[in-house]
Amino acid sequence: MHVLLVEDDPSLNRSLVAQLTEAGYRVDSALDGREGLYYAKEYPVDLAVVDLGLPELSGIELIRAVRAEGKAYPILVLTARDRWQDKVEALKIGADDYVVKPFHVEELLARVDALLRRAGGWAQSELVCGPVSLDTRSQTVTANGEPLELTSFEYRLLEYLMLHAGEVLSKTQITEALYDQDFERDSNVIEVFIGRLRRKLDPNGEFQPIETLRGRGYRMALPRGAPAPR
Amino acid sequence: MPLFRSLRARVLFWVSVAFTVLFAITIVALDRAFASSTERAVRELLQVQLLGLVALAEATPEGTLTLPEDAVAAANPQFGVADSGLYGVLWDADGVPVWTSSSLLDRELSVPKWPAPGEQDYVLIDTPQLPRLEALLEGVTWEFSEGNAPRYTFAVAVSLEPYDERQAAFRRNLIGWFTGVTVTMLLVIVGLLTFVLRPLHRLERQVREVEAGARSRLSGRMPTELVGLASNLNALVETERRRLVKYRNTLDDLAHSLKTPLAAMRTLLAEARDPAKGSLDESLNRELDRMDQRVSYQLRRARASGATGLGVEPVAVAPLIHELVETLDKVYRDKRVSCELELARSATFRGDSGDLTEIIGNLLDNAYKYCKQRVLVTLRGGPGSLTITIGDDGPGIGSDVLPRLLERGIRADESVPGQGIGLAVVRETVELYNGSLRFGASSLGGAEVTVELARPGAIGG
Repeated sequence: MHVLLVEDDPSLNRSLVAQLTEAGYRVDSALDGREGLYYAKEYPVDLAVVDLGLPELSGIELIRAVRAEGKAYPILVLTARDRWQDKVEALKIGADDYVVKPFHVEELLARVDALLRRAGGWAQSELVCGPVSLDTRSQTVTANGEPLELTSFEYRLLEYLMLHAGEVLSKTQITEALYDQDFERDSNVIEVFIGRLRRKLDPNGEFQPIETLRGRGYRMALPRGAPAPR
Repeated sequence: MPLFRSLRARVLFWVSVAFTVLFAITIVALDRAFASSTERAVRELLQVQLLGLVALAEATPEGTLTLPEDAVAAANPQFGVADSGLYGVLWDADGVPVWTSSSLLDRELSVPKWPAPGEQDYVLIDTPQLPRLEALLEGVTWEFSEGNAPRYTFAVAVSLEPYDERQAAFRRNLIGWFTGVTVTMLLVIVGLLTFVLRPLHRLERQVREVEAGARSRLSGRMPTELVGLASNLNALVETERRRLVKYRNTLDDLAHSLKTPLAAMRTLLAEARDPAKGSLDESLNRELDRMDQRVSYQLRRARASGATGLGVEPVAVAPLIHELVETLDKVYRDKRVSCELELARSATFRGDSGDLTEIIGNLLDNAYKYCKQRVLVTLRGGPGSLTITIGDDGPGIGSDVLPRLLERGIRADESVPGQGIGLAVVRETVELYNGSLRFGASSLGGAEVTVELARPGAIGG
């Protein structure tokens, strides 16, 4: 998942990039509003974290411009001004949530996580598709109640598929979401990981969680929500 | 002149004083003129009558002087009518009356001194038996024969009563007329002043409204004398407004420049987290929290303006609540809070909209945070006050927490971030507006907070 970070304080910017990367996001960062707007328009972005007090172009103007472009991804506002008028204004022009400085990193990550879930149409932090259940907070996965051991990449792939459960995701989309911008794109890698994920989730081939649509991509085939009790 | 705080009273007072003095002088002068013309008339009358009497005097064969009654009555019948107001007397040299007119009946004219022969004297006679009289006396030497020329004194007196009455009537008339003129004049002046001072009153009212926040600037047509004043006042209002904006921008910059490094420090700490130094991380984080709290608290306090002075426009409260509810619905989306609103649409707040947003935002945020599912906001606005009640269906406020909620400011050792600051700021802001904050139980089952804000104009000074 690509997170765009626009924060003008170099040390906070650098540190947040590290934290977000560690949490498993692909991060593009900008140090001023103009640069941020360029990234926001031109790069694949799943969520933007925007400081309100930016040089060149204020956070408010940036958000307005992004929304005017028709971009619908969630925007989380960082603000040093904890006035309600600022919060109200930021949310009115299109931001989705705010975090007041100085925040706890855990809180920021929780908000980012929650916004991404909401964007995928999930209200809870636990994503459940039939027998597969993924907890975005603890980053754990269970299938039929059994905990699964997944690598970091496998987890992010599954999370991305489950967040968009029911949607067809092309290999390009998946690659863009999971890799850095300049990563050499080799779609075969995705095929390999999908195969591994299938074996781990469904070793006996009982419920076919991930569907392959030839020439179009992949889809989480399990219906959202827990299966009806038998 | 501290005695008169109104221009109108001042003008009226001095105009009345001037009129009174002027009219008093006029009345005295006219009264005097009338009196002296009366006196002249009386004296002419006396001269004529005296001359007549002297002409009628006849010598008797006994060698005395007398006045024949029928001749006198023929000359002027008033001498013969009792109490007619015209009297005549003739005395001999010993002061014994030889003739008195019938009009005098049996009374006597007492004369203070006798005029020498050939001389006349005007005398005022005021005795209880007679009305006030003016008399003309003339001493005469009557030559009956060679060597026999005794002295006589003729007197004619006129009652002054009718003249006095006329004088009094004239005076009454005079005072009546002048009083009428004065009153009319003052009424005209009052009307004129009202008309002339109307723009001033309008200006004064507008200034009051600007002060109370009912209007943002002075407007409308002004007479040329007031245009300068009005534009100066407007400039003052504008400066005040700009000063507030600048002050707040400075505070915003300060907040940004203080809090961004705090955020960076905290993120760096998280980044460099080392299980071996866990307790150090924890204590550093705690210090950061305290620092943040103090900075936040002081900045938010400083920001609350309590602006009730010049150039503050009245704030419509209902739309402001709607916006806050929309914001919080977005922030607490996952919680799916159902917020019911009972808002008096016309309610306005005379003060700073930022302050009001801060008050309601913090309280509403608490309600959203602690409620299970439902929040109820009611807004009532009277002419002089504004009442906002926010209730929820959460656990309510424990009696052990309540005293802490009412404590002034935040305590330095308060360690839970975000807790208390909001409420402390709310309380101080409410106090700036002379308002009150009450905690109670909501009909929804949880806590209820009631904010009452008085009209800022009601604050003294």
